[in-house]
Amino acid sequence: MFDISWHARSYCTWRSFVWCVVAGFGITSGIGMGQTPEASPSLADSSGRVPRLAHPAIVLKDQDGHNVLDTGNPISTRHTCGDCHDYDFIANSFHFQQGKTEMNRELLASHAMAPFNLSPGMFGKFSILPNRQLTSPDVKDPSDYDMGQAEWLTKCGVCHTGGGISEYDLQGRRFLTPEAKPSGSLDPSYTTRDREKGQVVAWDWEKSGIAEADCFLCHAPKASRGARKKEMAAGDFRWANNATLVDTGIVTAQENGKFTYNRAAFNKDGSVKPEILDLSDPTLENCAQCHGFTSKNATTIQPIQHSDIMRGTEKSGWIYNGAKISDTVAPNVVGKEKMNYPWDVHAAKGIICIDCHFSVNNPGRMIHEDQKENLRYKPRGEDIAVYLKRPDHNFARGNIPPETVNLNVHNTMRGCADCHDAEKIHTFLPYKTRHFQALACQTCHIPAVHFWAYRSDDWGFLMDTGGSRITYRGIDGGIVDPESEVTGYLPAYIPTPSKTGNLQIRPTNLISGVYWFDKAKARPVFTWQVQTAFFSGLPANGEWKYRPEIVKAFADKDGIIDIPQSVFDSPEKIALVKGLLQKYAGVADPELRIEVTPWAVSHSIVGKGQAIRECIACHAKNSVLHRPLDLNTFLPQNVPVTFRGKEARIVNFEGKEPTFDNRALLSSFYIIGYSRVTWIEWFGWMFFFAVILFSIVHGALRLLGGRL
Amino acid sequence: MNTSTPLYALHERIWHWLQAATIIFLILTGFAIHYPDRFGLFGSMAIAVRYHSWIGFALIANAFLGIFYHFTAEKYHHFLPRADDFTDAAIRQVRFYFYGIFKGEKHPLETDPRRKLNSLQKITYLLFLNILLPFQIITGLLMWGADRWPRSFEKVGGLCVLGPAHTLGAYLFLAFLAGHIYLATTGSTPLSLLRAMITGFEKPSEG
Repeated sequence: MFDISWHARSYCTWRSFVWCVVAGFGITSGIGMGQTPEASPSLADSSGRVPRLAHPAIVLKDQDGHNVLDTGNPISTRHTCGDCHDYDFIANSFHFQQGKTEMNRELLASHAMAPFNLSPGMFGKFSILPNRQLTSPDVKDPSDYDMGQAEWLTKCGVCHTGGGISEYDLQGRRFLTPEAKPSGSLDPSYTTRDREKGQVVAWDWEKSGIAEADCFLCHAPKASRGARKKEMAAGDFRWANNATLVDTGIVTAQENGKFTYNRAAFNKDGSVKPEILDLSDPTLENCAQCHGFTSKNATTIQPIQHSDIMRGTEKSGWIYNGAKISDTVAPNVVGKEKMNYPWDVHAAKGIICIDCHFSVNNPGRMIHEDQKENLRYKPRGEDIAVYLKRPDHNFARGNIPPETVNLNVHNTMRGCADCHDAEKIHTFLPYKTRHFQALACQTCHIPAVHFWAYRSDDWGFLMDTGGSRITYRGIDGGIVDPESEVTGYLPAYIPTPSKTGNLQIRPTNLISGVYWFDKAKARPVFTWQVQTAFFSGLPANGEWKYRPEIVKAFADKDGIIDIPQSVFDSPEKIALVKGLLQKYAGVADPELRIEVTPWAVSHSIVGKGQAIRECIACHAKNSVLHRPLDLNTFLPQNVPVTFRGKEARIVNFEGKEPTFDNRALLSSFYIIGYSRVTWIEWFGWMFFFAVILFSIVHGALRLLGGRL
Repeated sequence: MNTSTPLYALHERIWHWLQAATIIFLILTGFAIHYPDRFGLFGSMAIAVRYHSWIGFALIANAFLGIFYHFTAEKYHHFLPRADDFTDAAIRQVRFYFYGIFKGEKHPLETDPRRKLNSLQKITYLLFLNILLPFQIITGLLMWGADRWPRSFEKVGGLCVLGPAHTLGAYLFLAFLAGHIYLATTGSTPLSLLRAMITGFEKPSEG
């Protein structure tokens, strides 16, 4: 039961409480008013949004609750923000936990997730893209150790914003407290794999410090993801939240890795100037830092920031941008002259991320409908004071593949039908209900993706960088080459469960991964093991050296393994690497596998002018719904193919290059004009032509016999 | 044969030709739906679907009017085969089609207003009007009502069952139509049966 007595605590005065409530009303109900600007036309700006009220001035506090101006210590958001907001409640959400709170075997099994996954989120789930996985706390053998908790934070902690995963160990004990102790020499919360030594060594939490929830990354419009990334990647977690503020002018980075505070950014009473910190609801730009290229009106698309490909672009190529594609200056989008429409129609209308992905207990945005209670509106919604104390950071979300994190709050977001009355709009469409039941709105409203995205990530054969070979779709040339032509791609279609449980056809990008699986241990082979099999040692000068057996089998006459040679084009080559994995990496029973992962495209929505309207787009022999999307050209044949956790026949090797074949996946859909029952077609036409033939022969005989 | 009484009454002829027109139109629109990319006779699939639905209802209405007429005019017995129609009469009719017709033999059934259908016609129409036509009407109605009665639609297996079933029925209709048109030339003259269905009389008036 929620304890409302928080407001009586000594650290939160009635004055700050009133400020919070007033500001909260401003933020929440103000935006609610923004959705109906005609109600208050004098307040709304050109985009129809009502200017928000500023967050009250706050004091930046350190871990002891003292003003950082006085101590010079790193900012503690637990004390700075947590004095008014329920820090632990907020940090117990999936943005901060990434599956840490869902490490439940039964939960995973109920969602058909393979048992080698520790959680449904990135903190514990195996992903083909990095081919890495968080090590289980139950690990007993060093050969089963891949990634410790600290290393995970150095790799992924820039976006996964602290809090749970960077404050607490896998047993739930807060780091740097007396009770936080390793449970063994392989405890992944307190160790890391030393890449050079190849050994599991202790991680020094005293040195790195812990990273509390980085509230600024999302709530400070001038947050610097790049600076935060630098601190996290360096394992200097303690200063990561300070680094995020480096572009606000509040802090300045020092050469020793620390940050100092700029007094000019603070009021005389020691609080930071509200107009400088500018705390607010997350802006488009805040979300974009981690989720994908997002802008109100950008003519230059920069999908690679801080050396990271933005996630939405990487996975499916969506661009959430209000500018017209035809106005794009960079990159070079092929055919843009004819694309006189926005990258995303919602972005052009001024819709921001939190309009749909809101805090589910925000009274100004929450869905008040409760179908279980037969209520279309719940007048007794959340209280604004409760919300401001405990804003639920399990943001409203849909349920699109392959996202699995936060399984319990899927389908909580405001969907298309919550804003649009599709039945009224689609007057041209027969059988509207059936169409809306069988198709996600995106199927027609994302007819094409006009940007590039990942196509394949091949960890089966490692390149001389020690890593995988990545290919992209939708671009001719390199992704960082300004001369490259962005051609975009046409999505593939797969069935996914809708909010009401029925299957809906949805557009996706497909990323095919090739990887080694250890059948004896029923888990993927770790990257360091594959490197051990392929290379004779760690790189001395940045270039890995292939083992002689690999060179002999794969290189051409020049003795170099170029990209065309780095393929498994024969069973013998697969067997060779399998043998090397057994011999050098100790992998008992390795098996080469293919995993085709669908990444749903949910943004880059077009309006009615560009949406699919022609019946024959789907209802024809060449139905787009069965369009074969090209996969990795170098996919090995005769190896198991998995799709969404199950072995499936979804790759067609018959053409020039392997393509996605979704016929089995869509077999439960009868698409008039496309679907055929072979025997009925054969029988029907044979019977008809038999009657015609009979008539011709019979008539001819009558004619010849003079009986006509 | 009594030449003063038409072989087919006006109501029967209107019923027949309305049925023929609707079935032909349904087959054409059906092709436009089944092969929308190769049979664009009606402009778009959506238009073909709309026409198909409306004409389908016209066919149903015509079928009910036909039932009403044949019962009230007591002409339903024309379509009821007797035991003999499955044995001797059927054999005679088959023999005629496969042998006698080439030898110029007389048609085994002398048609008159009281006996208009030969045994094979009775059997065929019994199957056509009482099984195939209702089958098409029911499967068609269920598909038409997919948005209106989704539970009934899903209960019978949805489009995965109804689509192929309706298609199979359509092919049988198409084959029937082809055979029916050809066999209509097997009267005393190639056009005599057609004339009968237009004027009511098999032979031209001698007056």
